[in-house]
This record gives sequence, C-alpha cells and structure tokens, in this order.
Amino acid sequence: MKLRTTLAALAASVISIASAGAEEFTIGLSNGWVGSEWRTQMIEEAEAAAAAWAEKGVTVKVVVQSANVDVPGQIAHVRNFLNQGVDAVIINPNSPTAFDPVFAQAKEAGVLVISTDAEVSSPDAMYVGIDQQAWAEAGAAWLAKTLDGKGKVVAINGVAGHPANEMRVAGYRKVFGEHPGIEIVNEVNANWDQAQGQQAMQNLLATYPDIDGVWVQDGMAAGAWRSIQDSPQAGKIAATGEIRKDFIDLWVKDDLNSGASVNPPGVMASALNVAVLMLQGRELKEPATAGQYGNAMYLPIPFIDASNLQEVATELEGKPGFYSYTSALSIEEAEALFK
Amino acid sequence: MSLPSHAMPHQRSVFERFPFIPALGILAVLLLLNGIAEPNSMSFGAITGLTKTYLALMFLAVAQSLVVFSSDIDLSVGAILSLVNVVVVVLIERLGGGADAVLLSCLVGVLVGTLAGVFNGFVVVGLRLQPIVATFATGIVFTGLALWVLPVAGMPVPQSFWRTYGGRICDIPFVFYVVAALGLLIWLTVRTKYIIQLMAVGDNRLAAYQSGLPVTRIRIKAFALCGMLSAVAALCIIGDTASGDPVVGNAMTLYSVAAVVLGGTALSGGSGSMLGSAIGALIIGLINSFVFFAGVSSEWQNFAQGVAVLVALMAGVLITRRISK
Repeated sequence: MKLRTTLAALAASVISIASAGAEEFTIGLSNGWVGSEWRTQMIEEAEAAAAAWAEKGVTVKVVVQSANVDVPGQIAHVRNFLNQGVDAVIINPNSPTAFDPVFAQAKEAGVLVISTDAEVSSPDAMYVGIDQQAWAEAGAAWLAKTLDGKGKVVAINGVAGHPANEMRVAGYRKVFGEHPGIEIVNEVNANWDQAQGQQAMQNLLATYPDIDGVWVQDGMAAGAWRSIQDSPQAGKIAATGEIRKDFIDLWVKDDLNSGASVNPPGVMASALNVAVLMLQGRELKEPATAGQYGNAMYLPIPFIDASNLQEVATELEGKPGFYSYTSALSIEEAEALFK
Repeated sequence: MSLPSHAMPHQRSVFERFPFIPALGILAVLLLLNGIAEPNSMSFGAITGLTKTYLALMFLAVAQSLVVFSSDIDLSVGAILSLVNVVVVVLIERLGGGADAVLLSCLVGVLVGTLAGVFNGFVVVGLRLQPIVATFATGIVFTGLALWVLPVAGMPVPQSFWRTYGGRICDIPFVFYVVAALGLLIWLTVRTKYIIQLMAVGDNRLAAYQSGLPVTRIRIKAFALCGMLSAVAALCIIGDTASGDPVVGNAMTLYSVAAVVLGGTALSGGSGSMLGSAIGALIIGLINSFVFFAGVSSEWQNFAQGVAVLVALMAGVLITRRISK
C-alpha cells in the first residue's frame, strides 16, 4: 500500500515537473448516468472547484463527458481522455469492477484515476467519497435513537444487486441488529424511484398499520413521506428523509419527525481538489487504504436532523427545488490531508 | 448479402447487393472528423482502443441483424450478454481459474447463450408471441437469472484473460484477430443457403411458407444464432472489463438495434447486411467520441449524440436513394 502511494506520488511529481512553470493541469470528468439533478449538480460543483484553483495560481482545465452510457460507453470515456492526454481522470463509475483493465492502461500512461460516489476495485485507482455503509448506519442510528431502541421498522431500498444499495442494506442491518428491541418487519426494493417509493410505502402502511419507523433511501424518502402524511398513521411514524430543497421545505413546514444522512453532490469537487494536490506531487498524510478494495479515502458525512434543520433550510434559501444540500472539501481542507 | 425476392438477380443495383456501402461512407467521414477534432484519436493505439471497446457491440449488432433479417427482433440480447458474462466469470472462479477452466467456461457460456436464444425462438415462434414484447419479457427473465448467478457486480477473472484480450500476438493486437474472425464468419455465412432462406422468410413469411420453406425452424435457428453471437459478445465484454456484472449489457440492447439500422438493414426484414451492422456499431462508437472531441459541453452531449445518430441515419437513406436512382 505504502509503496503504491509512493509510486503514485512519484508518478504525479514527474508529471508536475513536466508541466512546470505556470502550473496547468487537465482533468477529465466522466459521468455515466444523467438521470438525476444530483449528477448535474455534482459536475457543476466540480467545475466550480476547478475554477477556484485560479486564485492559487494553478490553472485547472476540466473536460467533461457526461451522458447516459453503458459500461463499454464509459470505458470509451476513459479511452477518449487518455487519447486527449489528460493528467487525471475523475469518474463516477457505472460498474465497480469493469474498469480494472482500462485503469491499468491509464496508470501505464501516467494518468491519475480517482473514482467518486461509487467505489472501484481497481488497484490503479483511488476512491474519494463517502462510505455508503456509514451513510446508511448514520440514518439507522438516528432512527434507532428516535424510537428509543424499540419498535417495528420497515426498509425501502434501491436497486437489488447495485453495489451502493448492498452496502447500505448491510449498514442499517448492522445498526438495527445492535438494538434487540428493533424488529425489521419487511424490506422492499423501490429502485430509487420516488413514485415507486410512495407506492411501496402505501402497501407497507396497509400491511403493517402498527409500524413505528421507516428507513428509506434518497429521493424515495419524499415519496414515502407523502404516503405517510396521507395515512391515518401520520404523526406517529419516524422516517429517514432526504436532502433536496423541496423535501427540506416540506420537513420544516410539516415539522416531520425525520433525519437525513447527506450524500453530498460535492464529492466530485472534493475528489478534484485531492487530484490537483496529488498532481502537484503532494503526498497524503494517511494513504488511501480504507474500504473493501483498500483504495478508499472516506469523506465526512453530514447529518440533518431537528437540531440543524433550520440552518440547512436557511442555507438552501433561494435555491431551486431540486437542489441538494451539499458539502465539499475546500482547497484548504483538502490540503490539510496532505503532508 | 441482400436478396429481395421480387428483384431479378441481374437487375439488382450495387446498393441492393451491398447495403453497407452508405455505412462505410459514414464511417469514413466520422473517422476523418474524429481525426480533425483530436489527431491522437487516429493513432494506432486509439484505433485499437476503439476496437476493444466496441467489439462486443459489433458482435451484438451482427447477432441482432440475423433475427431482423427474418423480420423478428430480439430485445433480450443485452440480457443474454449479461447472463453469459456472469455464468462464465462465476464458472472460471469455481473451476479454479486455470487455462482449462477458462476455455471450458467460455464454451459453457456460448452454450448458455445459444440455449437462451433457442428459448426466445420457442417463445416467439412456438408460442407465437409478438417478438418485441416476448423478448423484452425473456430479457427480464435472463436478467433475473443473472442476478441469481451473481447478485452483485464483482468477481475478477484471471489476469491472463484480459491481458490476452488487451494484448498482442505477433505484434498485432489480439482484438484485430477477433475482428478478422468476425469478418470471415460473415463472409462464410452470407454464402450459405440458410441466409437466403432467412431473407425469404423476412421478405414474405407467407410466401416462404407456401413455397415449402420450414419457416418455424428457420426463425428459431436465427434466434439461436443470435443468442450464440451475443454470448461471444459477452466474452469480449469480459475481456475488456475483466469481471462479472449481472446488468452490464442491458443498456446495449437498443444500441444493437440502432447499429443494425445504421448499417443499412431494414427492421421490416428481408434484406440487409451483417457487415453493415458491424460497421454500424463502430459508427455509434465514433459518434460518441466525436461529440466529446468536438468540445460539446456536458449538458448537451446526450442531445448531440442523438442528433448525430439521426443525421447518420438520414445520410444513409439519402445516399442510398440518390444512387439507386
């Protein structure tokens, strides 16, 4: 691990020497799915983060490939970047494992690869983002605490077989398992779709009228909450929430008993700041060795509950309804991670 | 390659005989445009990379064209690809990962793909369900099976597998041998009596039946071959991705249909070109990279790709019309 980081740093420093003088880096951003505003915001924040480097006298040029593609299509993204001669690639990958060969090729070409939002198995890449399992654990811990460690809960999950979904399921099961008073009465999949989330919640409320808590992911939470608010059980159920302004407004207005773990769209901006520092030849204080693939650097996960809801709502004022509450490592915060 | 039953052989124009010629022209134009926008994209390494990436889609498009020839369609090719992908990857792992294990697993994979195709043929031809909906449904079944074989993407294949696919033999990239093999396969297939029967079935099913052709068998065979070639596409995907993913191919299904049409084959069946479909797959790849190299901003990339595919389609139609006159 240590050796690899050193090698990476060495490779990075060679690149930075090559482009010495006025520092200038080209970073390719690849996004393989454009189905949600979250992804659009992710790219916009990364572009803004790149522009912010100008103040430090570093020119960071970003080139973006963002479109709905299949896995081979996203491999083509990476190959296009390599043909173009970028210094680094930051990718929100469509598959955890499928990029091993092309990332190996990137490394041979001396290109730094960082994945964000979803971990990749390649030893030639590094992950900068949140720990999806810890993200789920935070929401589950809030729910367990809110229910005083006892009660019946249901879970509404995303897409079966999706790696992030599986990590999240493992996360809440672990936390609920630590509370013997909490019983998971049912777990369903609603494919990260708000309408399906609403439908699933309706069915669950009809089948189990006596549930106390709901653990639900992302945008499906808004749908699930709509069903809860329309049901006779409204006001008696605690459920996890989400981070879009629409939902936060509803949360404030109806005083929902909710808590939301934040998966910020700023993760790509954080990854970009880390990438630039690595391209400058800086070395991480602690090498990225976390996670199941041993190549992850986990970012802090903010949490929204009654204690800071007002602050969050104020911060989001004037933003469009689809805007997600976000956070990212600033250049200074990223620098603090380096020697 | 095309054989419209109503035309007398000696009256057939060049374009009826070689419906892939417009596609070849579009391919040349796209290569040129890519070269202008990013000179590096024309380097030997970049062309090799393009081939590595789109070889699977080339096979999938050729597979799709076989069923399209008989006026059917297979919306499960992507799911068959995914299923074969996970079956092969899991089997290699179970058998210990040696060279024998790899070969045996690949053979089993091709068999699984063929069986999936036979199943499609049975459902569409035997049960007489509409192919577009029936294969959409069988595709969901195959995806379900793939998720059962390997619930979460992962499980790497031995390095030797993807090093071979990405490597060179006698200084020529391995993928070019595969392309040559695909070319040879197409060259041999179009010379068979079967392909003429297939076109006849696609052109006019009733007439083909009345003239005594075993229509049912011909159509089922097309689905079986389609499944088999989809399985070969899966092997290419494993070569390029080195791992199992139960949903890796699902988004590729409609691209395979698009490639078939771009290659000059009509979805109504009865005429077309397998070579054209393979070229169509490369056209899709080149369009995607050109949109990026041309500097289209990220918000507009999907839009630009869609428009470019439409333009390529129209260009194909216009060229054919102009010259057929």
